[in-house]
Amino acid sequence: MPLLNDEVREQVKEQLADLPGSVRMVMFTQEFECQYCAETRQLVEEVASLSDQLDAEIYDFVADEETAQEYGIDKIPAVAVIGDEDYGIRFYGIPSGYEFTSLLEAIQIVAKGETELAEETQTYLSNLDQPVHMQVFVTPTCPYCPQAVVLAHHMALSSPMVRADMVEAQEFPHLSTKYQVMGVPRTVINESTHIEGAAAEPMVLERLQEALASEEA
Amino acid sequence: MDFEPKIAPLKREEDKETETYELLIIGGGPAGLTAAIYAGRARVPTCVLLGTLPGGQPSSTAGVDNFPGFPDGIGGAELAERFQSQAERFGARILSEAATEVDFSERPFTIKSSRGRYQAEAVIVATGAAPRRLGIPGEDKFYGRGVSSCATCDGFFYRDKHVVVIGGGDSAVDEAIFLTKFAEKVTLIHRRDELRATKIYQEKAFANPKIEFVWSSVVEEILGDQTVTGVRLRNVKTEESTMLAADGVFIYIGMEPKSDLFAGQLELDRQNYIVSDRHQHTNVPGVFVAGDVQDPYYRQVVIAAGTGAIAAMEAERYLGKYP
Repeated sequence: MPLLNDEVREQVKEQLADLPGSVRMVMFTQEFECQYCAETRQLVEEVASLSDQLDAEIYDFVADEETAQEYGIDKIPAVAVIGDEDYGIRFYGIPSGYEFTSLLEAIQIVAKGETELAEETQTYLSNLDQPVHMQVFVTPTCPYCPQAVVLAHHMALSSPMVRADMVEAQEFPHLSTKYQVMGVPRTVINESTHIEGAAAEPMVLERLQEALASEEA
Repeated sequence: MDFEPKIAPLKREEDKETETYELLIIGGGPAGLTAAIYAGRARVPTCVLLGTLPGGQPSSTAGVDNFPGFPDGIGGAELAERFQSQAERFGARILSEAATEVDFSERPFTIKSSRGRYQAEAVIVATGAAPRRLGIPGEDKFYGRGVSSCATCDGFFYRDKHVVVIGGGDSAVDEAIFLTKFAEKVTLIHRRDELRATKIYQEKAFANPKIEFVWSSVVEEILGDQTVTGVRLRNVKTEESTMLAADGVFIYIGMEPKSDLFAGQLELDRQNYIVSDRHQHTNVPGVFVAGDVQDPYYRQVVIAAGTGAIAAMEAERYLGKYP
């Protein structure tokens, strides 16, 4: 049974019409598929079928270990959204529920290869000389969460130093525990700093700067 | 778990020049989207700025049981999506942006968002309301990590735990019932000795073996070092102070109108609701208002939608008269 009904398929087709570049969704599962691995694979394949510019590549996390390493994948299900280059945009756990919106947005910005973040943000991010890892914890039933995920993905697109992951909290309970996630969205920057809620761009930038400053100190 | 893929538009504008519409609607909840449906059908070029919670308050509630036409109830998120696709069907342009600045001093009115600048001959303000906070020690510290106002977002984190729900209205009681899907025990704390919630919610809550009630009590502090460990309560009748152990706190003590943006430009009442006449006019001709931002009393999806329809019809009439 398809995951996307006809109505949603039509909407997706419309949103993904005229993608200005080609996009690959590189998906990692394993032979004995994890919880939601099968659904994630199916979702990626269904979405890929809705645009000529989209491809799905399915890898086995165990058998294709080298590829997993190449994309920096450390847990599954995982989806890397890749355009002309790998901008560091990842989804861990199924990008469904409200996060389906984040997936479509990621495809669109990657196809375009540019973001519309404020100039100040882009300038700061493109001049970064330290790596930044943003992990945005979400649940699929959280309407506030896509804003945080999409913002982090835009930031990843703006700088080769920034990686941004959506992490579906329910599928990775050990990470939720590790990062003390008791509410979503929660954005963890470089292990040290976190932001509760869907913060606006200037505030996220500020916290990111704080995180880097505290590392230098 | 609800994994049904949902689509909310997050389209952004490449063109950062000022965009002009006849009608701009600020807020994408039931009021704003209903206004967009009506305006679209009247062929008024309309743009909706969805704001920070696309779909409005229904998006963050588990279900809506009192919206007519859905005899079995409908998921809050699904209802919001349906409003939106109906508005899109009639041609409204829907943008996932929040207004950050408005200028209603002259026509065309100017609205700035995080991503663009807009001008419109008429505006409908439908920004809604946001959960009120208690303003007690521990609340800010634990907000987003043990204190929440969104059970659909965060309920999962309290599987087999004990949560406290504060409040006695529809939201508090309905969300307390929802949280029993995850939590081992839910304690509802209310400052009065009876609930204000609709009887059908009360019946369900009283019949639920996982829900306990603490009456006539207010929460004075949220306790904990790294995580929430409990709350300090005061009984308003006996003045007795007690501690109650808990892993999480959900606050549903009512809403506050999201009217900050309009202070000094639109007339607000003492509780900061935007003042509206019976036809959803504000004190500025051409600026209309709908939904919870002007409704201190009812705050229902169906009423928000109704006022949205009125606002759109009035805006259309206004644009016909003063194009």
